[in-house]
Amino acid sequence: MVLRIEAKWEIPYVHSAGEHATKFFEALKEKKILGVKCPKCQRVLVPPRAFCERCHVDTDEWVEVKDEGVIETVTINYARFTGLPDPPYAVGIIKLDGADTGMLAYLGGVDLTDWKKAHEKLKVGTRVKAVWKDRPEGRITDILYFKPVEE
Amino acid sequence: MRRAAVIGVGQTKFRTRRDDKTHPELTREAVSRALEHAGITMDDVDAFVFGTMDPFDGINCPDRWSSTAAGFGKPFMKISTGGTTGLTTGIAAYQHVASGLFDVVVAVCTQRVGENVDAQPVLNTAVDPIYERHSGVGAISVAAIQATVHMQKYGTTEEQMAWVSVKDHENALKNPYAHIKKKIGVEDVLSSPVVSSPLKLYECCPRSDGSVAVIFASEEKAEQIRDDPAWILAESSISDSYFVGDRPDLAVWDSLSIAGRRLYRLAGIDDPKKDIDVAELYSPFTIQEILELEALGFAEKGEGAKLAEEGVTFVDGDMPTNPSGGVLCTNPIGATGLVRLGEASLQVMGEASNQVDGAEVALAHAWGGTLQFHALMLVSSHKKLRR
Amino acid sequence: MKVGIVGIGITHFGVHEEPFYNVAYTAARKALEDAEMERHEIDNVVLGGYDVSVGRTISNMYTAPAAGGYLKDEIRVSDDAAYALALAYMRIKSGIFDVAMVLGYGHCSETPIELVELLSLDPFFHRDLGISYQMSYAMQSYAYKMKYGVEDETAAEVVVRARKRASKYEYAHVREEVSVDDVLSSEMVIFPLRKLELPPWSDGCVALILAEETIARRINPEPIWVEGLGWNTENYYMGSRDLAELSSTRKAGEMAYRMAGCDAKSVEAVEIMDLTPYHHLMALEALGFAADGKGGELIESDFPTNSSGGALCTNAHGTTGLFLTANLALQIRDGCDRGISHAVSGYAAQNSIVTILGV
Repeated sequence: MVLRIEAKWEIPYVHSAGEHATKFFEALKEKKILGVKCPKCQRVLVPPRAFCERCHVDTDEWVEVKDEGVIETVTINYARFTGLPDPPYAVGIIKLDGADTGMLAYLGGVDLTDWKKAHEKLKVGTRVKAVWKDRPEGRITDILYFKPVEE
Repeated sequence: MRRAAVIGVGQTKFRTRRDDKTHPELTREAVSRALEHAGITMDDVDAFVFGTMDPFDGINCPDRWSSTAAGFGKPFMKISTGGTTGLTTGIAAYQHVASGLFDVVVAVCTQRVGENVDAQPVLNTAVDPIYERHSGVGAISVAAIQATVHMQKYGTTEEQMAWVSVKDHENALKNPYAHIKKKIGVEDVLSSPVVSSPLKLYECCPRSDGSVAVIFASEEKAEQIRDDPAWILAESSISDSYFVGDRPDLAVWDSLSIAGRRLYRLAGIDDPKKDIDVAELYSPFTIQEILELEALGFAEKGEGAKLAEEGVTFVDGDMPTNPSGGVLCTNPIGATGLVRLGEASLQVMGEASNQVDGAEVALAHAWGGTLQFHALMLVSSHKKLRR
Repeated sequence: MKVGIVGIGITHFGVHEEPFYNVAYTAARKALEDAEMERHEIDNVVLGGYDVSVGRTISNMYTAPAAGGYLKDEIRVSDDAAYALALAYMRIKSGIFDVAMVLGYGHCSETPIELVELLSLDPFFHRDLGISYQMSYAMQSYAYKMKYGVEDETAAEVVVRARKRASKYEYAHVREEVSVDDVLSSEMVIFPLRKLELPPWSDGCVALILAEETIARRINPEPIWVEGLGWNTENYYMGSRDLAELSSTRKAGEMAYRMAGCDAKSVEAVEIMDLTPYHHLMALEALGFAADGKGGELIESDFPTNSSGGALCTNAHGTTGLFLTANLALQIRDGCDRGISHAVSGYAAQNSIVTILGV
């Protein structure tokens, strides 16, 4: 018989988004998604960052990309983990029209109860469009999820 | 370059919890076994390198406490690089010796994932808090998104992925240190609950508590100490970009291919299938073994899924992979990479619990971050690659 | 074969509004520009810094690409980045690599570091007692002060001189000059330490580029050579130690002097990680610049210590030591022949690392 001591970490953090991300979040309030273009490799990076990791140069050319794109990949989580969203929820990488990198986002508008049926509707390559919060607040969660575009 | 070898390996039994021991006591258990395996004592050790992934154990920088069992009064360095930690700890210890500054160096990794009530939220804090953390992404989801693409692009099936799990579980039965010991069949895997689609419970690793130590020595010391050291042929590591959305194609693990290419060049390997006898890969999820086998040249792109199904990766197959039972059956996250190196070393020493007949060259691998890092080490029973 | 520093990049230290991803990138760019090099000329990245202090598990995921590590070999020391320099040295000395970007990061403004450090204590014997990081340094200070009868005024004088030097060092965080009276009349925060005797918590990054001898000379005709390195660890259990001395620093210093083939007499510049004025004195003694208990006598002399102002003026948890090493490198570039830098980590300076640089 050994003693077990319960412990819980509660550490407050205030993370600074920096100037680049702040501009991105300001644009979200207008339901616009911004990326930055690397002056060297010309890739449009979404979400935007202050430098291109590949070329190691500053980025300052802002580009608006569409709130529509294609699914690069997706998974639906069915397990419950402490502090993470309630299952089921779908997360994927979306390559937005006009962007060269994918963005991590929720996927929705599809019944997730049966994972195989859901994956049929959320295939790699499926076109999706952002569903926005009615009143965006300048946070990444302003985009509630991306849902398949009816064709 | 100063040649170096692994001269001792020690592991604790891995379990969900090791309530019988504290952090330094677990460290001591592994270090003592490794010293005993090498036939040396603490006095023979010149330096320690300690690896762990910090927040998992509920102690920040647990190395400070655990150092009481490893190396206080001696040079002691702490490495932490995510899932690759175990192997980068081994790499750093090897570099301690290769630099000529030290002759005998112990790499030790202790991790108590089991003391953490739930590991996924900790993994989620590795994800950028500004752009990506809200998504609830942890290690399982990043593996699941790899699986989705691989299945759709190459037609990899659920059954093929299940075979990887069946193989690892069968192997773990022979490993006295393995965490999950349970004989399962393809049907068991397929009928287990979906955790993060398309991955099911038996396709995902457990959370394990435990410690592992690997001792490195210079050529001269290694030859004095034992007849059959595991010589280090080469090491390599790589960092990709930070955002997971930047990966150009999730159906291939191209950053691992690049690291593998560098490793093979350093070791003089032309054909990994012929030159490497056994691989201990960091595959906590079935799909990842498939991607890794392809990236490292053991299978063509899109063909990796066939290997377990056709028996190639079983211990008596042409390319035995994870004969220890692998990460799928034992995952003390920050220590796991060093377990891979320890098991690979035991294979070329001819002392592994699930020995591959005549193994002379063994590969150890680990990945970390959100698919961002890889580390590789190649060990051999010979000082140079022999064909 | 020698290993030399060929590029130095130091950001402003203080409070950064930008995430440390950007600050780290700035330091790396400055080092590359200082060396007149491009990213592709480095073949590996060695990072130093902590996770929980910056609120990110595997924080090197963030700093590796910032340091120029995209598709390059990378490793991270989870301790003061002075250890990263030692590891980079070994990676090059072994012949495995040619040119390393060493990058240290500290970003204290986003979370209470005292709480983060408290969580480094075991949850059984120490954590429940709520002993803060600073309290452990205060206990050491008191043990030393009592053993040798060090006056409050001597400690205050250490702070006054540190602030004076920091006021002239462009990268230092706290640069306002203070008087002995200011120090002694500042509030008692953690006995025996007064408010002005405690270091700040800073944000900032340091990048140093290390290269193998032949390559180093191609990059820079006058590299700053890494002559000696030493590191050591003390017992975690503070009760099992003599708190009146920095024994891990002493052992680290001995190893570094042995490697460099020199002693304290040949050292012209010293940068020590003085988390309290008493640690300033204890470190000078442990490194052989003064007899035990006599560190105070050096303060009145012109002994060349901490031209950066030291940790008392700039303390970015995770890179304070490398910040001091970088300043030492700048002094050697300015004509000093040999210098020593020192860093500590853990409660009551459990771990120490010493670096000797020279021409």
